[in-house]
Amino acid sequence: MDNIAGQKSSFVWASNIATLTLVLLWIIPTLGLFVSSFRDRDQISASGWWKAPFAVELTARGRTGADTAPEGDHFSVSGNIFDDREARAAFTGDPGAVSAFGIKGAEPRAFQVGTTADLGGGETLTVNPDGSYVWVTPEDPGNRGKRIYFAAKSPPKLTLANYRTVLTSDNMSRAFMNTLTVAVPATIIPILVAAFAAYSLAWMEFKIRGLLIAGIVGLLVVPIQLALVPVLNLHNAVGIGQSFPGIWLAHTGFGMPLAVYLLRNYMAGLPRDIIECARVDGATDFQIFVKIILPLSLPALASFAIFQFLWTWNDLLVAKVFLPSADEYKVMTVKIADDLLGSRGGDWGILAAAAFVSIAVPLAVFFSLQRFLVRGLLAGSVK
Amino acid sequence: MNPVFQGLTTIVLGVSGCIAYFYTSNLVLDRVLYPARGPRITENIARANQIRPWLFIFPALFVLFVYLAYPVVGSAFRSLFNRSGADFIGLGNYVALLQSPDFRRAFLNNALWALFVPAASVAFGLLAAQLTDKLAWGNAAKSLIFMPMAISFVGASLIWKFVYAVDSDIGLVNAILLGLFGVGPVDVLQIPFWNNFFLMFILIWIQTGFAMVILSAALRGIPEETVEAAIIDGANPFQTFFRIKVPQIFPTIVVVWTTITVGSLKIFDIVYATTGGNFGTEILPSYMMSFMFRDDGRATAVALVIMIIVLPVMISNIRQAQKEIR
Amino acid sequence: MNALARKFAATTALVCAGGAAIADNHLLRTPGDGPYNWGVYEDFAANHDFTGQTLSILGAGTGVDKTRLENVFAYFAEATGATVTYSGSDSFEQDIVIAMQAGTLPDVAMFPQPGLARDLAARGAIVALPDSTRDWYKENFAAGDSWADLASFPGPDGATHVFGTIFGTDVKSLVWYSPEAFEENGYEVPETMEALKALTEQIAADGMTPFCLGLGAGAGTGWPATDWVEDFMLRTQPPEVYDQWVNHQIPFDDPRVVAAIEDYGWFARNDHLVDGGSKAAATIDFRDSPDGLFEFPPKCLMHKQASFIPNFFPDGVEMGVDVDFFYFPAYEGLDLGRPILGSGGLATVTQDKPVAQAFMEYLQTPFAHEIFMSQGQILTPHLKANPDAYANDTQRKLGEILTSATTFRFDGSDLMPGEIGTDAFWNAMVEYTTGNLTAEEAAAAVETRWNSIK
Repeated sequence: MDNIAGQKSSFVWASNIATLTLVLLWIIPTLGLFVSSFRDRDQISASGWWKAPFAVELTARGRTGADTAPEGDHFSVSGNIFDDREARAAFTGDPGAVSAFGIKGAEPRAFQVGTTADLGGGETLTVNPDGSYVWVTPEDPGNRGKRIYFAAKSPPKLTLANYRTVLTSDNMSRAFMNTLTVAVPATIIPILVAAFAAYSLAWMEFKIRGLLIAGIVGLLVVPIQLALVPVLNLHNAVGIGQSFPGIWLAHTGFGMPLAVYLLRNYMAGLPRDIIECARVDGATDFQIFVKIILPLSLPALASFAIFQFLWTWNDLLVAKVFLPSADEYKVMTVKIADDLLGSRGGDWGILAAAAFVSIAVPLAVFFSLQRFLVRGLLAGSVK
Repeated sequence: MNPVFQGLTTIVLGVSGCIAYFYTSNLVLDRVLYPARGPRITENIARANQIRPWLFIFPALFVLFVYLAYPVVGSAFRSLFNRSGADFIGLGNYVALLQSPDFRRAFLNNALWALFVPAASVAFGLLAAQLTDKLAWGNAAKSLIFMPMAISFVGASLIWKFVYAVDSDIGLVNAILLGLFGVGPVDVLQIPFWNNFFLMFILIWIQTGFAMVILSAALRGIPEETVEAAIIDGANPFQTFFRIKVPQIFPTIVVVWTTITVGSLKIFDIVYATTGGNFGTEILPSYMMSFMFRDDGRATAVALVIMIIVLPVMISNIRQAQKEIR
Repeated sequence: MNALARKFAATTALVCAGGAAIADNHLLRTPGDGPYNWGVYEDFAANHDFTGQTLSILGAGTGVDKTRLENVFAYFAEATGATVTYSGSDSFEQDIVIAMQAGTLPDVAMFPQPGLARDLAARGAIVALPDSTRDWYKENFAAGDSWADLASFPGPDGATHVFGTIFGTDVKSLVWYSPEAFEENGYEVPETMEALKALTEQIAADGMTPFCLGLGAGAGTGWPATDWVEDFMLRTQPPEVYDQWVNHQIPFDDPRVVAAIEDYGWFARNDHLVDGGSKAAATIDFRDSPDGLFEFPPKCLMHKQASFIPNFFPDGVEMGVDVDFFYFPAYEGLDLGRPILGSGGLATVTQDKPVAQAFMEYLQTPFAHEIFMSQGQILTPHLKANPDAYANDTQRKLGEILTSATTFRFDGSDLMPGEIGTDAFWNAMVEYTTGNLTAEEAAAAVETRWNSIK
């Protein structure tokens, strides 16, 4: 018995660990980008996001002052490198201790901090950890100070600056509104249209009902790619062109098979007696639908609404084709893929912030309404 | 007009329009065309009831026709014409596709996606479903694995592009390679052939949650007795899983598998946002985009090819649906 | 690669411009103020009156480009009393074709690349300018014949006419570098291609990386490499061969083209000569690649890119101090002059109206060019435009390169059919740079695609 129990508990341990590994594998990528969205560009390129809580060493340059008076046969200039505007600007927070310095851009860490570097020809330079320096030169520096390159720690700093940049100067706020403008009507309209159709396919008797259902099931898998060219041409021909009404209609069409299919399956499962009773009481089909079927189908409607909302919010292809590519029409996915990935290619802080602006709403929907989503999935695929 | 305002107007107009349509059309049917009174009351009611389903279903059928059924035919038709659409060239576009090495590459890559993505998603999904089944924190774990489902393909591509970044101070993959093996830096999106798998993993990452949710429900539906019987017979957990549980949920696995297969054939965003089809990662939907609005004949021909690949799934789904309805 | 680059440039420049963006319908300067040819403007105003008329313009410029253009248009409106409406679209190429089919063409179309106008000109959608326009180009533009050729296409009748006014140009043949880094290491700005190659090897031998190269541009990945190849075509072959190549009169995989690609490969396919190695170059974004110049230690000492690239330099980089440029030199051993590669937009009349014709005249005045170039980034080959109007010294030096050119050739990929110049050529260059294809194979792949679109 002990043996079996031992085996069992080790098995439980194993599955706990395995689950944990799987979960970590699944969330770490998102977490990484999330952390990075709060980091400054220099910090991102200087150290991995997993080191975000620690200071990073940055290299920067500055110029010494040139105020000097001759001291015997040489000139001496002293000051603090962080008083130089360019040097100071390289650090977002308070700069930490200087760790090394140099006089050539190619070798910014040529000399140990605190030591006096012999630059040849009687010229010497000392830089201390606090940034103070002494530059001794046999020639009058005139009004041009000595160029100093140095490395110093930059303290960890989390900032909302990326989000601010993305939302203001990168027009992401406009794209956010556009996405919302696309997604909401494209979610609500198809539900209404589909609900009536689903009711008639579930509870009304007519000749080719079976055929229609089969047809709709068939349309479920039609690749959208097929629709792009003919439908856009059609839109152009009737004068809708690339516009918001055009994309609403397109999303309505593309979401319709799943909507009808899901809702019909659900409605067909409602108890027959309720509907029969209402019919006997003299209710018309319209009344039955509005007063009985719709309220009872709310869970299914919610499921589909979530699906359609996530799909339209996250869509790239339909938006690329059915909306003009001008900035005032770009939705967030297009904005990221066609614009930011280009214009902000290596600026991961900005990209990450943009990604999370676009992900925030779907994630909120997901975590608050997960139950409906799961139910919808089960209804949609298992039946 | 401000698009937001336009959107709100559309919602109001659309919703009230829909309701008005259904309401008034019913009203007209019942009061004007076939009023349920007078000498022919029975006949009228019967007639009205014959027409009503069509009133209910018409708007849905109309959009389905315009946005999905017509395009199948329209695309098929367009694919028989040359790039300007002026000249009929028969199967010329298809012949040109078959001769193009880029098309063959995209086709083979797509086949790879269609095989590997569902297989891996189902495997991971099954694993996750089984592991989380009896766990105290199982639901939380499920929720986290399921989460990528809510993220757009573009967002997911960005997330993984970050993981794959070449700089070992940015990309986790290269940080691990450098830290553990001292190998470095590798651009995984440029490794010939295998880069496809790194892209596929993005989709697997998204689809595993879907597979897990459905398979987990199916696993719970397995009668306890069968599992208990197996345990009493001395089967170890692996045997129970593979010999007892998996066969019982096999139909569900097939459904999940085909759903993901169809999804992976249509995916466009991931390749577009990561490699742009470069480095030998082109797949049919992204290949199609390089022709769209330039050579619509060629573009629609590619779309038709995707359709033909999906066709068997479509037919089997229709058969299944017909069986259910009887 | 003007259109795309401009588009990208616009997005970032928007950030830089910040709150400084100029409101629509306001004049940039009050007449009489600044180094502009106000006399020309006043003459134009005196001779044209279109009060109450509307001029609609469609172009590709959005964001800050749109603002710049609108500032130019505002003076036309002021001078003539006409109302000017401008819409910019990133998908101009598609929009203009759709507009033609739907019969909703604007009065004036501003093509980001002249090549796009060829097709529309042949289909009769564009109104030809008077034949005297060619002489106007010769008199007023440096290398005027090259420019006139760029704006000339066969019309619907098959006869070639000048179809538009070149407006807004970039220079491509530039290498950006840090003067201070050159000074610290004792390097000289190379005057010949031989010297550039020697310097490149010298830098590598000194343990540094000579070039930063980035081909990444989202959907447009690969285009920076096409600029290199075009520049080498102009530096290894006479301009006539370049024209034949661009017009597909010689095959794309002609040995002379392959040689130019390999010249590019001498730099790009050598892991010691480009930052991160050539594989990395394919994914580094072209907007990020110049950043390497400004790091310590620098990731590279040189960066070849067009005149718009300062838009993407990090904040605080001072032109002429932190960074400067030199002309991408020609081979001393080959007597081919000082060829310049560039790109620019073409304004065309798409509705035969007096106000549209007058607008063309306006765009030909030095004044319009001055207003445009004073807003930064844009250069002009207009010889009568006052160089003092340039926004800064660097712009002025760039403008001089343009006005002193002996041969000017337009970005070839912009002149090739869209599927080649904005797709196949880019992809082939990516595959070549990363070493997946040889120069012959890459060129042959483009040739195959080009043959398939006849």
